[in-house]
Amino acid sequence: MLRNVYLKTLRDAKRSILYYTIGSIALGLYVTLFYPTIRDATGLTDFLEQLPEAIQALVGDAETYTTAEGFLNAEVFSFMGPMVFGIFAIIAGMGAITGEEESHTLDQLLANPISRTSILLQKAGAMMTSLLALSIGLWIGLVGGSMLAGFDLSVTGTTQAILSLYLLGITLGLIALAVGAATGRKGLAGGIAAAVGVVGFLLDTFLSVVDLLDPARFISVFYYFNSNNVMLNGINFVHFLTLISISAGAIVLSAWRFERRDLAS
Amino acid sequence: MQFVRSDHPMTAVINTTDLTKFYGEHRGILDVNLEINEGEVFGLLGPNGAGKTTCIRVVLDFIRSTSGSATVLGMDSRTDSVQIRQRVGYLPGDFITYEKLTALELLEYFANLRGGNLVKARVLAERFNLDLTRKIGELSRGNRQKVGLVQAFMSDPDLLILDEPTTGLDPLLQQEFHELVIEESKAGKSFFVSSHMLAEVEIICDRVGIIRDGSLVTVEEVAALRERALTRVEIEFGDTVSAADFEAVEGVTNVVVSKHKFTCHVSGSVDSLIKAAAKHTVVRIQSGQPGLEEVFLAYYNNTGDEQQGDSDAS
Repeated sequence: MLRNVYLKTLRDAKRSILYYTIGSIALGLYVTLFYPTIRDATGLTDFLEQLPEAIQALVGDAETYTTAEGFLNAEVFSFMGPMVFGIFAIIAGMGAITGEEESHTLDQLLANPISRTSILLQKAGAMMTSLLALSIGLWIGLVGGSMLAGFDLSVTGTTQAILSLYLLGITLGLIALAVGAATGRKGLAGGIAAAVGVVGFLLDTFLSVVDLLDPARFISVFYYFNSNNVMLNGINFVHFLTLISISAGAIVLSAWRFERRDLAS
Repeated sequence: MQFVRSDHPMTAVINTTDLTKFYGEHRGILDVNLEINEGEVFGLLGPNGAGKTTCIRVVLDFIRSTSGSATVLGMDSRTDSVQIRQRVGYLPGDFITYEKLTALELLEYFANLRGGNLVKARVLAERFNLDLTRKIGELSRGNRQKVGLVQAFMSDPDLLILDEPTTGLDPLLQQEFHELVIEESKAGKSFFVSSHMLAEVEIICDRVGIIRDGSLVTVEEVAALRERALTRVEIEFGDTVSAADFEAVEGVTNVVVSKHKFTCHVSGSVDSLIKAAAKHTVVRIQSGQPGLEEVFLAYYNNTGDEQQGDSDAS
């Protein structure tokens, strides 16, 4: 695990990866094991349809809420999933470069024949690999849970929804990593990435019912993550590519800046 | 100011041209022109804040110069930084590193990044009596510094850049370190060492650059530096002398005369003073053997007396 920066980063994060992966499995199991109660609740659809539009935006589509996919879409992919993946990714991303700088180890690392961009990319790769562990955990939790609870769940829909969630996590994590690498400021990195996540969430949920703000949904990462309700409708490739472009753009800009700035000693 | 030895036949391992670094408004280094030759042990002397570390960090491309340029091993310090670092060993002033790794794990990690092995590291660890199995976070400052020394030397680099290398080492280990530098130097390695310890520089260095307020004041052979040292001379005369008899004598300053007793500082040779004194009856002469310390202070204190330092400038 000490062969290169990528493996060393994973090694350092192993506890955190383990706990978050267990958390993701638990989230998947909890929601799927809970689902039969919702499915069997009569009159829930009618009740949901009477809720104000803003609350419906948060809860999810009333018509599909009692279907397995609709329920998971609302419970896992609207709030809890993005929160777990987002927090993990932002923490990992914000400290990737600034952590080494704060603990005065970046000079020593860079005294070895390795470029700054290589360090940046290896750190980004480690963050993406860690998120993959969370994604697999969530998949096991959801698919395993549906088997335990004895209901049919679209494996394709689940896989695609998790893929989209994975990509949302990468986007937020890479924004944090990019700001950190470009500025050397950990707090700023975490703050900006968290703001992108939280404001994005609000624009795509509560605020989307405000007519004036509706066009602003298009600047929300959540819009590109799941406005298509991936669990039910599959991945929208334009949205998918948009998130990939944001991530790639963040890394390219950040590498450009990181290669040129002074490092803290 | 430029301090280049044109008579030196070997190539430069470090060459800086008007190297300047400002941190915003704050001065780091200003127009530093250095030429360090292959196989040479070069010392950069100066107090804290003089710009020693800035100079090293620019050369290693951790920070970017405001103006000027530097080449290391014939390569551009910025564009060829990765290739340069393949052939350079570096020890920072305070070796703070991955605390959760054991010393062995850290050395393994760095050896992997360099594509090397731990053969030399183990020999050095043995020599410095360093326990590689302990976590770095649990090591004393001196032991941490030993890990730093081992990682700097282990890849057999052509050039070693050491920033205050003996900080935290006890005198015995300092001596061991000095021996190591002398050995490696004989084996053809080049060294760029910063220090505020003159005794250390005197032992290991061939040439010394003195840096003050970000500017290189002078570059001298260690031997020459000692030669132009100030000597404190005290003469007791059999007759009465006056200060005026000696103030014009070459190299003499700080003349104090009280009846038969005369004291002064002499820079360089005392020959003229002795000849001037011989006109009188000399009862006793005492003179202090100068340390590099005094040389250093002479350069530092005489802010308005730059001719000492500039006489070598071309």
